[in-house]
Amino acid sequence: MAVLEINNLSKSYGKNKALDSLSMTIEAGNVYGILGPNGSGKTTTLALILDILKADSGSYSWFGDKMGDHFRLKIGSILETPNFYPYMNAPQNLEIVAQIKNVDNVDYDALLETVNLAHRKRSPFRTYSLGMKQRLAIAATLIGDPDVLIFDEPTNGLDPQGIAEVRSILKRISGQGNTVIMASHILDEVEKICSHVAIIKKGKLLATGPIGSILNNDITIEIATSDISQLKSVLSTKSFVKNMTELPDWIECIVDEQIDVTEFSKEMYNSGVVPTRLVARKRRLEEEFLEITNNA
Amino acid sequence: MIKLLKLEYTKFKNHSLILILLMLYAIFSTITIFLGKEIKDLPDFLPSTAFLYKFPSTWDYLGFLGSMMSYFFLGLIAVFIVVNEITYKTFRQSIISGLTRKEFFLSKVYAITAISLAATIWYFLSGMLIGLTHTTGLRMSDIFDGGWVLPRFFIMVMGYMSLGLLIGFLIRKPGISLLFYLIWGFALEPGIKWLLTYKVINHGVVRLLPVNAMEDLMPLPFYRFADFIPDQGLEFEFLLPYWQAGLASVFWIAVFLLLGYRHFSTKDL
Repeated sequence: MAVLEINNLSKSYGKNKALDSLSMTIEAGNVYGILGPNGSGKTTTLALILDILKADSGSYSWFGDKMGDHFRLKIGSILETPNFYPYMNAPQNLEIVAQIKNVDNVDYDALLETVNLAHRKRSPFRTYSLGMKQRLAIAATLIGDPDVLIFDEPTNGLDPQGIAEVRSILKRISGQGNTVIMASHILDEVEKICSHVAIIKKGKLLATGPIGSILNNDITIEIATSDISQLKSVLSTKSFVKNMTELPDWIECIVDEQIDVTEFSKEMYNSGVVPTRLVARKRRLEEEFLEITNNA
Repeated sequence: MIKLLKLEYTKFKNHSLILILLMLYAIFSTITIFLGKEIKDLPDFLPSTAFLYKFPSTWDYLGFLGSMMSYFFLGLIAVFIVVNEITYKTFRQSIISGLTRKEFFLSKVYAITAISLAATIWYFLSGMLIGLTHTTGLRMSDIFDGGWVLPRFFIMVMGYMSLGLLIGFLIRKPGISLLFYLIWGFALEPGIKWLLTYKVINHGVVRLLPVNAMEDLMPLPFYRFADFIPDQGLEFEFLLPYWQAGLASVFWIAVFLLLGYRHFSTKDL
């Protein structure tokens, strides 16, 4: 079932086209990563589908329009920076969200435990570090156990420890049957958490689908031997080698998915190459991402 | 409605500035009237200051005091409860948490209605207390003189606060909104009224300007004496009749709230 359908959504800021006729569908239960460089329209997309911004044209519909204007009651979201009342502490700020969402009897202690904020729950929001503010925002999204979670650059601006904490929280709460939409320019983050991705650049959708379909099944092999020039000439005769790049200490080549590592090694031995290094890995999202966005 | 009112209460019950403004209003809108006891040199036509505290005239004086104090303290609260949410960006948080834009706007309208109502009740209670302790030989019929003081007071406060709300929603910047609100009531609108009267149209219609109409619901009672009318050369009565002031104020409240809602419901947040 489609949780969200976006049809030809466009938005300009003055002459700058932030979003250009974007369409996509998000199915229930997917963990969806929206990938794109800074300024590609990720936050604009999320702000539009949450009614914070008004679209110039196009439309979107949540939950098949069954909730009308109240669809956000079933969505927990973070958009850009965490925004709370600076003079109130954590439970007081969460209480406001609970009232808006019509949720009674929230166990604030347990919720703050989930995001590692229990020790500072009595301090006013203004005294929090950015990481703590972000974790409070994550706690707020969990109130009322919403069907959909939306995270906009959840680790932006955090220090390494903050990033690690937020990531482990995100991993724990996504993939529990709820739908997650996460915008990020950090590929590693998306690769580790998401089941689906959409890649956008300059407001246009470049690719979308399950992560496996975006990442083709070719493998990347790093290989080194004592005689690099011999290695190069051997590799260039093999039809299953699609592409090779010479790096300082080894050669990196992309190998057709029909060939596995064992077969590749055999081929090398038979051609008289004895590798001193042989590493095989799946193509990483980063490589696909760069290829897709550079070709656009 | 209860949900939205409760939400506003939860948001601001710990906001010290708003609590202080409310307290200062409660104090200054009542005790200032006792400064009248300090006046030594009374104009010839005033035998004593007792009329300040006696039924039914105390309603007029206390009402005028409430008018000045509510324009300042309560109007500022109306500006504050909007611009605070914009400065903290919590209005965005409220929307993404699930309030519709309409509900968010209504929560502010309910808040100013509740405060206006509370101020009216405070006016009634303090008026009763002052009147009962200062009127000798009281008859029930003397308490109110049929001037509809309570609805007039309520509409007046509601009017000031609606103006504050609109300015908050339109200007959004805390400092400039507060300043503009104060300048509008104390300088800009009186200036416009003066210009219109003496340069454009010397007609009573200029009294229908918003803050002027709202003030005329609870005017300075001395204006009833010809000596106190500040400007000569007017070709109209200085004060609006109450019913006209009331209708004009209700009209302006509707205009302010509709403009504010239209602006808030169609704009990028």
